[in-house]
Amino acid sequence: MRSYFSLVIATLVINTDLFAAEAGMPQLDPKYWASQAFWLILIFTILYISIAKFYLPKIKNNLDDRENKIKDDVDDANKFKELSESKFKEYEKILADAKKEVIKIQMDSKNILDKDIQSKKEAMEKEIENEISKAQKEINELKRNSLIDIQNISENITSSIIENISGDKLKESSIKAAVEDVSKKKIGEYL
Amino acid sequence: MASNPMQQFSVYKIGPQIKIAGVDLSFTNASLFMVISASIILLFLFVGTKEKKIIPDKIQLIAEMFYSFVAKMISDTAGSKAKPYFPFIFSLFMFVLFCNMVGMLPYSFTVTSHIIVTLIMALFIFIAVTIIGFAKHGFKYLSIFVPNGVPAVLLPLITVIEIISYLSRPVSLSVRLFANMMAGHTMLKVFGGFVISLGLLGGWLPLSFSVALTGLEILVAFLQAYVFAILTCIYLNDALNLHH
Repeated sequence: MRSYFSLVIATLVINTDLFAAEAGMPQLDPKYWASQAFWLILIFTILYISIAKFYLPKIKNNLDDRENKIKDDVDDANKFKELSESKFKEYEKILADAKKEVIKIQMDSKNILDKDIQSKKEAMEKEIENEISKAQKEINELKRNSLIDIQNISENITSSIIENISGDKLKESSIKAAVEDVSKKKIGEYL
Repeated sequence: MASNPMQQFSVYKIGPQIKIAGVDLSFTNASLFMVISASIILLFLFVGTKEKKIIPDKIQLIAEMFYSFVAKMISDTAGSKAKPYFPFIFSLFMFVLFCNMVGMLPYSFTVTSHIIVTLIMALFIFIAVTIIGFAKHGFKYLSIFVPNGVPAVLLPLITVIEIISYLSRPVSLSVRLFANMMAGHTMLKVFGGFVISLGLLGGWLPLSFSVALTGLEILVAFLQAYVFAILTCIYLNDALNLHH
């Protein structure tokens, strides 16, 4: 690329004779060398002093300030992070304790309830048993009474039937014996 | 006048002639553009440091970026010992950069396209670096010319080469900047001249070249300022940290 351009420039220079004697390279004309050197040194010195004395310290201060600020902020953020982590741990501990307590309360109340239920159940069962035995007794009494009643009724019926058929009045004791005999044989079928 | 691509480099005096002890120190267009470049730098830094904001605005950010850029360049190449020279390197970089950039404006003058300007800067750097080297290391500084680990047979030759390369530093430093700026501006002018001479029909191709070259020259303007500053850092590094 560069060589191509220099070729173009060279052709141009040769063809149009641009580097005529009076043109030349103004850089090589020493007429203003001293002036350029003088102004360069003067201006660069002023530039250097103002940059070194005013601007660079300002920029440096500002950069340092920013770095410190960022560092402080990061430190603060880390501190807060640690704080929040410890708080979170505390919270988790409280939560775990509470859970444990809940389970304990649950267990306790369950035990109490179980005991209660058990005792109530036992009491109930006892009562039921009592009731049952009482009822059984009553039934047995009733059974016996009804048996006696039935026997009496059967005796009466038997005596009246015999009276009606034969016209005789049999002795009560014999009738009773007969009825008892039959009822003893047959009673099992009805009770 | 317009057809001569070297015309843009000519220096002429502005205002009255100033003569001190028979030497012509008149204020010229070159001096004017030095003043303009320096004023732009100072104005830019003034605006950039006017308000100390934690969150910077654009100008402040750019000023701080320049600061960190040069600070990093120095610490990378010359280490922490070069810290006292930071203001000088910073001023040098800003001055060369802004002179180059101001020169990119049409009808302006490129201060750094003059060999005398770049040579004075380079000579100052060369002499200062040499003084720093001798001040820090005394006569041991001369060991810069004798690299370590060179076979004894080659040593005289290498030493001569090292001395020549050391002495040619100001020349290479100044000519690099001057030649780059001059060549770029000459090319821009030549292609600009082509646009005019080829007219409406043929002028488009050199015009597009001109546009592309302008971009390239802006890059070169930055790059040469950077190279100038970083070479100064490297020379400073040789003087401060004596080793090879």
